[in-house]
Amino acid sequence: MRHYIVRRVLQMIPTLIGVILLTFVLFNVVGGSPGAVAHGQKASALEIEEFDEERGYNKPLLFGWWTRTRAFDDSRFAENAGAWRDIAGVSYHRPEGRMPGRLTVTGDAVCAVPLAFPLRARESYRFTLRYRLAEPGRAVLALHGPGQTEHRAELAASARWRTARIRFEVPEKPATLRPELAVTNGTLEIREIRLRRRMAHPFDSQFFFFLGRLARLDFGTSHVTNQKVSTMLKEGAGPSLMLTVPILFGGLAGSVSLALVCAWFRNRLLDRLLVLLSVVLMSVNYIVWIIAGQYVLAYKLDWFPVWGFESWRFLVLPIGIWIVSSLGRDLRFYRTIMLEELHKDYVRTAKAKGVGPAGILFRHVLRNAMIPVITNVSMAVPFLFTGSLLLESFFGIPGLGRVGIEGLTWSDFDVVRAVVLIGAVLYLVANLVTDLCYALVDPRVRLQ
Amino acid sequence: MSDSTITEKSLSRWGEVRRKLRRNRPAVAGLWLIALYLATALYGEAAYWWHRCRDTTPPYQRINMDQRYLPPSFCRAPFAAGPAADAGRPGPVRRLLSGLRELTVHPLGTDNLGRDVLRRLVQGARIGFQVGIVTSMIALPLGLLLGCLAGYFGGKLDDFIVWLYTTFACMPGLLFILAIAMLVGKGLLGIYLGIGLTMWVNLCRLIRAEVLKHKSRPYVRAAQALGYSPLRIIFRHILPNVLHIVIIVFSLRFPAAIGTEIFVSFLGIGVQGEPSWGLMISNARLRLWQGVWWELTFVTLAIFLVVLAFNVVGDALRDALDPRLRTE
Repeated sequence: MRHYIVRRVLQMIPTLIGVILLTFVLFNVVGGSPGAVAHGQKASALEIEEFDEERGYNKPLLFGWWTRTRAFDDSRFAENAGAWRDIAGVSYHRPEGRMPGRLTVTGDAVCAVPLAFPLRARESYRFTLRYRLAEPGRAVLALHGPGQTEHRAELAASARWRTARIRFEVPEKPATLRPELAVTNGTLEIREIRLRRRMAHPFDSQFFFFLGRLARLDFGTSHVTNQKVSTMLKEGAGPSLMLTVPILFGGLAGSVSLALVCAWFRNRLLDRLLVLLSVVLMSVNYIVWIIAGQYVLAYKLDWFPVWGFESWRFLVLPIGIWIVSSLGRDLRFYRTIMLEELHKDYVRTAKAKGVGPAGILFRHVLRNAMIPVITNVSMAVPFLFTGSLLLESFFGIPGLGRVGIEGLTWSDFDVVRAVVLIGAVLYLVANLVTDLCYALVDPRVRLQ
Repeated sequence: MSDSTITEKSLSRWGEVRRKLRRNRPAVAGLWLIALYLATALYGEAAYWWHRCRDTTPPYQRINMDQRYLPPSFCRAPFAAGPAADAGRPGPVRRLLSGLRELTVHPLGTDNLGRDVLRRLVQGARIGFQVGIVTSMIALPLGLLLGCLAGYFGGKLDDFIVWLYTTFACMPGLLFILAIAMLVGKGLLGIYLGIGLTMWVNLCRLIRAEVLKHKSRPYVRAAQALGYSPLRIIFRHILPNVLHIVIIVFSLRFPAAIGTEIFVSFLGIGVQGEPSWGLMISNARLRLWQGVWWELTFVTLAIFLVVLAFNVVGDALRDALDPRLRTE
């Protein structure tokens, strides 16, 4: 048995890695720029940079030396001059035919490079320019500090498009650093300018940052409530369990006993009525159950409190609604299982022995049907966790579901990611526990 | 399908299925209902493009503050009986015409902005079917392809695909879809991707298991002995024998996709600005408390009927095609 447990736990590891990878891809690659989403349209670049710094979004994705900085957006000049539109001394040209959109600076002009906020002290940065400068031209990218020039780089003249990379160190007091583009002769045409910051080491990336935080079980901070996500989850777990545990057992008892009724009266009127009822129940939308239940039972008839979480009375209605709304699906599923069992050989043997219908149903069939029933229940464990999303926000129960829904409505990435991860891990654990239970009950499983 | 019952006319597999379906009265009714909904959705699509191409406000978006909260009625709207100061005395024909023009029929009432509920329901059907069809187009080929490859080739590829779908299966269903919808951005694309990327898992698992079973059958062995390429064997020989699973999964997943769209739109991270069923529920919910019952009732009814039809047809299809398939 110990062997089996170890093997089963080891089998879980690739899936766990998969879950972590999938979450990472979803939230860091697909998610784009959570800082901008969190702060809205009017956010300043510095605010977003600080948000990203705290959450590691300003690092390279997987690994690498160079990373973007919000101080200077990549300028490609395909549609407009971007941050350069208000800079004196430059003019912008739209793309025409095969000529790309570009920025030109003509002879004897000095223009400042637009930075959204000062660069970081004592860090290394790099400008990448794609430019063209006809032969007698001279252009210099200079970084001026207070009273002195920190760095000067000459741009070599070239009739063709060429790329220059200019690396520089930022001095102690970055606020006074002014990068400037000075053209003394000729016309400098720029297609693209990028600014990158150099990381301390190439593995200082979003991915490893994410892994490191996971290893410390640190899920970050909600930008909406400014609370630690782990605290929010801990506080939400209690109310959620109070809601879902009765749902799990109540639903199970209800649907299994009805399924037994169906099996008892199979293909007679009662069975058919129950099947019909379950199809009808299945077809009513879950949201409608909640709305109608709350409106009719709590508001109109005043049998239950409408909203809040103060005593057990507040939980009765949501529990009832959930059980009724999932009854149809479960009843049908368990009925199929029971009927499948009824056709097996051991039932015939029992009949031949002279066991009565009640004995067959309750002693033989019910026991053998327990395995698929347990599987279904264990698969429903994480589903209960996420399924309580709407119930909790409708009835004002401060559980995990409400935390999740609020995270979704406010685009609170850290919260949603934590809830998704926990849901997935719960599923894995539930699966493991089910398999171990099987192995405990059925010795054949261990040998596979 | 036992061989001993070959009488005067032996039926092909699909002929047999058709016969079984035709005998099942609720399934036939369900199919007709689905056809009706499909026609409605197509009409909605046509209306949508008609107004979009002519750049006019479609009637289901037209705001009319005089006609807010009109209960379901077939009669003239009350405001139309108001002062219609017409110059001179128009003849009976013109009076009739202007009367007709002012006759506004709202068989299912109007909502808080005076928009006709029936027209909005039709548009909701359009969006629901769109979501169901597009997500199936994403998920079914994906699941079918991966399932076939995993089942037929086995080995490392199988391990990888099994790992992939196990990972996806771990993700907490609805929340995962909602997270994708949030990350991709509000709108239909997020819904398509969210549902599409979760729907293939179940199909892939079923197809893989079925292909594994078929792999050792004599007809596949024979094809291998003839030296056919693996792709030809998969797509020409095995695929027709596992295709029924796709149909069953489609019929069961389609209503689920509609339901999920309603859920996502209800939460406000789905469809924006168009009358989806989810948005209608979310609007109607607030006004239910003021006694405006018709909007919620009719949306519920519309959803209920289409989901019921799909459930009944899906069951019948499963019974006819593969009664032992467990699709949970």
